[in-house]
Amino acid sequence: MSEDFEDLMTNEHYEVLTEVVNIGMGQAGDSLARFLGVFIRLSIPRIKLVKADDLRKQLVELVGNDVEVTGVRQAFFTHWYGEAITLFDQGGSKDLAKLMHYPDDMDKETEKELFLDVGNLLSGACVNGVSEQFGIELNYSPPSILSQNVFVEDLFAADKMAWTHSLLMEVNFSMEEYKFKSHLLIMMTEESIETLAKDLERFMERY
Amino acid sequence: MTTKVLIVDDSSVSRKMIKKSLPPEWDVAITEAANGIEALEQYKLGVADVMFLDLTMPELDGYGVLEQIQKDGLNSMIIVISADIQPEAAERVKKLGAMAFIKKPIDTEKLSAVLKEHGII
Amino acid sequence: MGELPDKLSLLQVIIDRVSVGIVVVDRNHNVVLWNSFMENYSEVNTEDIIDKNLFDSFPDLPKNWLERKIQNVFVLKNFSFTSWEHRPYLFKFQHNRPITGGADYMRQNCTFLPIKGDSGDIEYVCITLFDATDISIYENMLKEAIKTLARVSNQDSLTGVYNRRYLELSLSREFNRAKRYGHPLSVVIFDLDHFKSINDTYGHMAGDEVLKEASKRINIALRDSDILGRYGGEEFVVILPETDLNSAHIIADRLREKLADEPIVYSKDVLFEKPEITVTASLGLTAMREDTLDYQTMLQEADSALYQSKEGGRNRTTKYEFVSDGSVSAPAVSAPAPAPAITAPKTQTIEDQVESEPVDVDSELKDVAFQETSELIQDGNVIYITIGHR
Repeated sequence: MSEDFEDLMTNEHYEVLTEVVNIGMGQAGDSLARFLGVFIRLSIPRIKLVKADDLRKQLVELVGNDVEVTGVRQAFFTHWYGEAITLFDQGGSKDLAKLMHYPDDMDKETEKELFLDVGNLLSGACVNGVSEQFGIELNYSPPSILSQNVFVEDLFAADKMAWTHSLLMEVNFSMEEYKFKSHLLIMMTEESIETLAKDLERFMERY
Repeated sequence: MTTKVLIVDDSSVSRKMIKKSLPPEWDVAITEAANGIEALEQYKLGVADVMFLDLTMPELDGYGVLEQIQKDGLNSMIIVISADIQPEAAERVKKLGAMAFIKKPIDTEKLSAVLKEHGII
Repeated sequence: MGELPDKLSLLQVIIDRVSVGIVVVDRNHNVVLWNSFMENYSEVNTEDIIDKNLFDSFPDLPKNWLERKIQNVFVLKNFSFTSWEHRPYLFKFQHNRPITGGADYMRQNCTFLPIKGDSGDIEYVCITLFDATDISIYENMLKEAIKTLARVSNQDSLTGVYNRRYLELSLSREFNRAKRYGHPLSVVIFDLDHFKSINDTYGHMAGDEVLKEASKRINIALRDSDILGRYGGEEFVVILPETDLNSAHIIADRLREKLADEPIVYSKDVLFEKPEITVTASLGLTAMREDTLDYQTMLQEADSALYQSKEGGRNRTTKYEFVSDGSVSAPAVSAPAPAPAITAPKTQTIEDQVESEPVDVDSELKDVAFQETSELIQDGNVIYITIGHR
């Protein structure tokens, strides 16, 4: 299975997907900029095929493991199935609160609500930005907290994964005058990758 | 008359999309660059009457290219084609001398409108 | 079988029968759609609210917050959600568990959906409202159960302070955190002196009472972030996050005083007339160093310092200081003014090695009252510094 699986996505598929995700990320960045009223710096998207056993290592490589993060997750479904995970570090949460004019001593529930709102905003805008380019409408589940203040390597329990392979896309958002940094991870199931590969081919036929 | 066009984007897919979006009747000679440094090298060789410039790139990004060109003296029409669609991104590149700002995804309609607006075609 | 109604009237029926609240508003917050669920729970009829401003009809709504939420859907063209966990309800609705529920109003999970108009722009926002009262009741019950379970499994049943399992778990967590961020961390172990004779003299009930009172006194004296647990028998451990060795020394010795200064009165005794039991403790402490291997090492070090306190005559505090090689770098001999009475002959040897570095009287420790003696013992690479009554 695994070798066939890796054949599903060719280099060209990856290149097209990177560009499509780049555009999606631009829309997410624009949403965040409008929401917070600051200029957002965008990264270059990174896309990998990961094995469940390898996920922790890959995540640490992408995100680093030096600060504790809070993760907000959200599912998207219908044409593709997957989850988007937004990671906020602790320093970032204070900046967010400041930009949103929340009090310094906001309680835990308010902080959670803020994370859920911003996580929903980023993943919704980005995944929507991607799916719109294929003319696809997706549904979203309400966001929920994946885990609070954990190191990236402890974000997932690899032995509890119900999948063996997944497509992992990472983009990140930062600000010029603040410490805020947020990573957005979009992960798709094995079944969806086949669908996605076909969508990518159709997409490029236009060009 | 043939217009010399330089397309700068780290994504080969994006460069392809830009090429395919150029108005078919427009007579062009195309050069490509995959990052900011290559772009400046090509620019100095004089291959760009019109430059299509991406913003988020490794090595030297689009802002860096604009800054350098502004310093050395501008003699190209630079059109930024960017996935970063924040209003402030558009303002910043205009200040750095870009003539126009087009939001990705690019298509012939958007591109033609801008080229016509600035009397290029 | 009757004829199937056309699609539009079918949808109308579903919208009205589904047990979900559905409201659609336009940019000015005027109501465009109001389904039967909303009608039934709000007691506002559809025909009375259509084309009316939502906020005019429901002055109880959290106006500023909701306006911003709706505005964001228009601007960002994106779904938005609220959960009862963060915002219990949007509309003050009765729920279906008036007797058994324990919740004031219907708990609600809401979704805000952007709706495109003919122009292709977002012209409406659809709010759907799910009754989450049952979920919230079960979730709260579950949370309570988990809390109780956590308390029971983390707590020492006699004293109410943390048990050994939780202590080790916390220490391992604090150790990893301190190591990662390069922050200080100290651990204190203390053992009540002559506890066996308290049991023998006054009985086990009195012994239990002493353990309870001792933990209570220590717990009150600690900071919120400190963690106190019973390690076993009459032995306790205190984890002091963000605390270096010298500060921990001051704190530990204050704990010692809290016990020794005032006898514990055992009021429930039947044989004796409210005996006053004087309890002292011997303490040992250590701090994390760059080369400290694991949290177990810290416990061993603190324990060996505790042993020094016992050996030295009990009711005293000893800190463990590791010296990496022969060249002792001025160990902060903590002794209060006036002049430290350094008595141990071995101390002298260390002093000689230090030579140019005068013994520094740690100014912080001047605050520690009632110290009559201080001694320095070197054992291999380890220096124990003890303060306490003689």
